[in-house]
Amino acid sequence: MIACLVVPGFELRAALRERPRLALEPAALAPAAGAEPVVGAVTAAAEVAGVEPGMRLGEALATCPQLVLVEQDPAAVELEWEGMLRRLENAGFAVDPDGPGRVYFETRGVERLYGGLEPALERALAAVGSAWDPRAGAARRRFAALAAATVARPGHAVVVDDGREEGFLAPLPLSLLPLSPDRYAELEGLGVRKLGELAALPSAAVAERLGPEGRSAWSLARGGDGSRVRGRRPAAELAEALEFPEAVGNELTLRRTFGALLDRLLARPERGGRPFRKIGLSARLVGGGSWRRTVTLRDATADRARLRAAVAPKLLELPAPVIELRLEGVELAESVGQQLELVQPGADELGSRLSEGLRQVRASTGSGSVCAVVEVAPWSRIPESRALFVPRDE
Amino acid sequence: MVADPGVPGAVRAPGRVGRAGRLNEPRAALVEASFEGTPWKVNHQPVAVVREEWRVVDRWWTEEPVDRRYFDLVLETGQHVCVFRDAEAGCWFMQRA
Repeated sequence: MIACLVVPGFELRAALRERPRLALEPAALAPAAGAEPVVGAVTAAAEVAGVEPGMRLGEALATCPQLVLVEQDPAAVELEWEGMLRRLENAGFAVDPDGPGRVYFETRGVERLYGGLEPALERALAAVGSAWDPRAGAARRRFAALAAATVARPGHAVVVDDGREEGFLAPLPLSLLPLSPDRYAELEGLGVRKLGELAALPSAAVAERLGPEGRSAWSLARGGDGSRVRGRRPAAELAEALEFPEAVGNELTLRRTFGALLDRLLARPERGGRPFRKIGLSARLVGGGSWRRTVTLRDATADRARLRAAVAPKLLELPAPVIELRLEGVELAESVGQQLELVQPGADELGSRLSEGLRQVRASTGSGSVCAVVEVAPWSRIPESRALFVPRDE
Repeated sequence: MVADPGVPGAVRAPGRVGRAGRLNEPRAALVEASFEGTPWKVNHQPVAVVREEWRVVDRWWTEEPVDRRYFDLVLETGQHVCVFRDAEAGCWFMQRA
């Protein structure tokens, strides 16, 4: 079985960890700077007052004048989410995170450990902690597991038996599908409001009317495909932070602090001499909220001057004075050094450049982003049967 | 936090699940055709020349039979496209043949 664990409004909950009192008042996650002015997740009190996630800011404030807008706090989200994943990993679950607030894991291995599926799900919910109101769902397929977790009550799990996915999904709303707002509106305009109504339509008609997005939504509405859950490789911590006694907005001070953090990070023995491929710089801002940027290096390096030249300019993008600056090694390269050659054969050089480029793309966009084309039936008269693209993570 | 350095490609960020996919999948196309089924407009662009036409009938013994009528076209804009009408689904698609 595939299990899914969901924490609704995770970003808002993480941002409210420091101000738990606000969780009981009408509050909503403010839009990010430069983004469309719509509110994010909302508290239960805001929902009661008529505010919904995705509502335009003006409309939300007109609906509920007492609404408190909570600044986005990406660093807290990152920190809390990583903590949650680690608690699950410590309990024996090989987690496959799908963005903050949603994680999948395979239950086969842990069912024997905890004496069955339900006890395993209960253990996972306990590992997350009741303060987060997590919900769990389990089914044969990922999407059905997600749907089950979405309809579960806080702190509870819903299990969809094998073969009953379609019947379970049929009465659920379309909002579970990963569709753009235009597509929802289009489907609602056509009178399709439930997953079962979409699943009952002919596949070709859906593909013709809604394109590939609609075709994949239709496939999900019928239970989804059988994609596997792949547990992530647990990460080690490599970060340095400095807290200021008072808020600092001076560029020179920030650059000096950055230099000191970089020296401390480079001196960490866990690095084992390996160069950095990706570095994260984050800050806690004076008015609440946080800021974060990541830099993927073209060539993995541990050279202080090059790291400084690549990351320090990001400090100019800080939107407000900071009270804490944090530098984090997000990913290390595998090799400790680069053996240069006096004369390198042309083909080898091209090959090594290509490998390096692919590693850089992977570091920047995540696992599964680099694929290889594999010819499976080049003789086929059906064009889409001739080749597959297969993720290459090695 | 840092990805396990001993394992190439390990990333800490929430990863997307990588899985194999088909290359050159048909994409839905808006085609206007004459009564005998020859396209004369593709995505609102008039067709200049029909270069070739052929049929693919395959997998008729399975639950997903293939019955397609392909057209290799040049549009008035100079664009070269290949479209087919899926007789099973009764609609038009675009695909590199």
